[in-house]
Amino acid sequence: MSIQVQNLHFSYGKVKALDGIEVNLPQGAIGLLGPNGAGKSTLIRILLGFLTPDRGEGKVLGYDIRTQQRMIRRYVGYMPEDDCFIPGIDAVSFISYLGELSGMPRKEAIKRAHEVLFYVGLEEERYRKLETYSGGMKQRLKLAQAIQHDPRLLFLDEPTSGLDPQGRREILELILDIASKKDIQVLISSHILPDIEATCSYVVILDKGRVVAEGKLSDLKQIDYSLYEVKVKGDTSGFQEKLKLMGCKIEFREDGLWRIFLPPEVDPQIIFKISAEEKIQIRHFVKSQTSLEDLFTRVVGVD
Amino acid sequence: MGIRERGYAHWEGSLQESRFSWWPITRQGINLAFQQRFFKLFFFLALFPALFFIVGIYVSERLEDFRHMIRGPAGFLEVNPSYFKAYFTNDFFLFMLVMVVVFAGAGLISDDLRHNALQLYFSRPLKKSDYLLGKATVLVFFLSLLTFLPGILFILIKIIFSGSFKFLRNYPSLIGSVLGFSTLLTTFFSFYALFLSSVGKNRRYSGIFIFSLYFFPDVLFGVLYSIFRNPYLSLLSIKANLQQIGAYIFTQKAPYPISCFYSLLIILAILFSSAIALGKRIRGVEVVK
Repeated sequence: MSIQVQNLHFSYGKVKALDGIEVNLPQGAIGLLGPNGAGKSTLIRILLGFLTPDRGEGKVLGYDIRTQQRMIRRYVGYMPEDDCFIPGIDAVSFISYLGELSGMPRKEAIKRAHEVLFYVGLEEERYRKLETYSGGMKQRLKLAQAIQHDPRLLFLDEPTSGLDPQGRREILELILDIASKKDIQVLISSHILPDIEATCSYVVILDKGRVVAEGKLSDLKQIDYSLYEVKVKGDTSGFQEKLKLMGCKIEFREDGLWRIFLPPEVDPQIIFKISAEEKIQIRHFVKSQTSLEDLFTRVVGVD
Repeated sequence: MGIRERGYAHWEGSLQESRFSWWPITRQGINLAFQQRFFKLFFFLALFPALFFIVGIYVSERLEDFRHMIRGPAGFLEVNPSYFKAYFTNDFFLFMLVMVVVFAGAGLISDDLRHNALQLYFSRPLKKSDYLLGKATVLVFFLSLLTFLPGILFILIKIIFSGSFKFLRNYPSLIGSVLGFSTLLTTFFSFYALFLSSVGKNRRYSGIFIFSLYFFPDVLFGVLYSIFRNPYLSLLSIKANLQQIGAYIFTQKAPYPISCFYSLLIILAILFSSAIALGKRIRGVEVVK
């Protein structure tokens, strides 16, 4: 286990950001999902030692988050969510400077800076002043500084935010490539579900400072609910009510399609029975695959 | 070359733990300061008093050769603690120190705050003290070039020109005075400027703060002193306080007839409150409580 956290609590004044978080994260690419304000960034900042938890314990790579923050930071790379750079210098100086601060010898840091800038696709712009970089270039630069010292664990906080589709695809490709190295673990915090689905094998979903779901993505997608896509015609109010009484969840799509999540104990035939009782027509009925989005919708309760 | 063509490659080296992990911050700060045109101009101008005083030492040793050029008594060319005090406490010199810290120091922390760079520093194995030491050493470096270095150089040049150590035997405490007052000036201006640099996210405003908090209390003191003639009003002015302490350290008559202990107390109060406030201002991330 590279990250272990027990009963972690943290508050910003009266606002509870983390409320008894418990996670044991295995090796591999891990997605930290949750709506805005769920506590994802706070958890990463505590794991890095930026913030001290009010209560609880934790270890990152075997180092204690309260007492061994410097050791953690030595072996962890961090890509922050906000734009961050040092003005007045070019990318090579910036990356090598941060490499030196991580403990790399100066010559090695300069050599490695060129390599990582090539790797993230900034080879042509590496001698440009950072303040002239576009948003997409700054995002790659943040990734470059995070991998400069060849970390064992990489924290990526909203790595694709503010990127155009092409830039997003390229950053995800890079993350996938890094995560494919078995000796680097990647923790990606995001609220963009397709990004997590594309890159991670293990997911932790946070909501209101609590872990609401955790596990292998393939297992979690096999959620207990079975999903049926249905189109109906007629007065549907009674139909909806009866389904909800059976414990079903219904999601309405703009194209008139209903997505009905049936609990495992409920027979799908019930949909037809209720529709007959309520005298409505079923025009379309397809069993569908549940996605991470469905899981997210179910556990977090937002669309 | 496509970004995926090479693939991620590990770094073969090993990370080192250094006792001087703040040094890259200092080196970077010095390089960035020299990229500024105005800094270079003011730093060059700030070296003028030192050059002027070195010429003074040379002339003092060759007084007979220059006698025809000097009218009246040549006492002002006598190299003694008063001569050193004149260098370290003259208005132009102190003003130039302030201008150097304005241009070298205003952006040291405010630029990091503006561009969210603190989290980049603190996601490395750096302590807050390493960060602050690295930033402070930038100012210490420049201020030392204007205080320690000329002070020691004056003594060495005097010894070389006179060809004996008689000067040092006459004034045995002079080296201590030079080191003591240089340390005070360097430490005070470093913390003063660093704190004001951490107050805002705009280096211009920080620069204005550094200049204004030095300059305007001095103007206020000048105005009030001309009206009330009360020497205690000198405590309002950073410059006057430094001049009082300088006079004491170089064993000279204080410019204002009050105890220099009060001035020392005020300067130390500003220094320590700046250091404490600075420690509270610097965090890895913005935390809204």
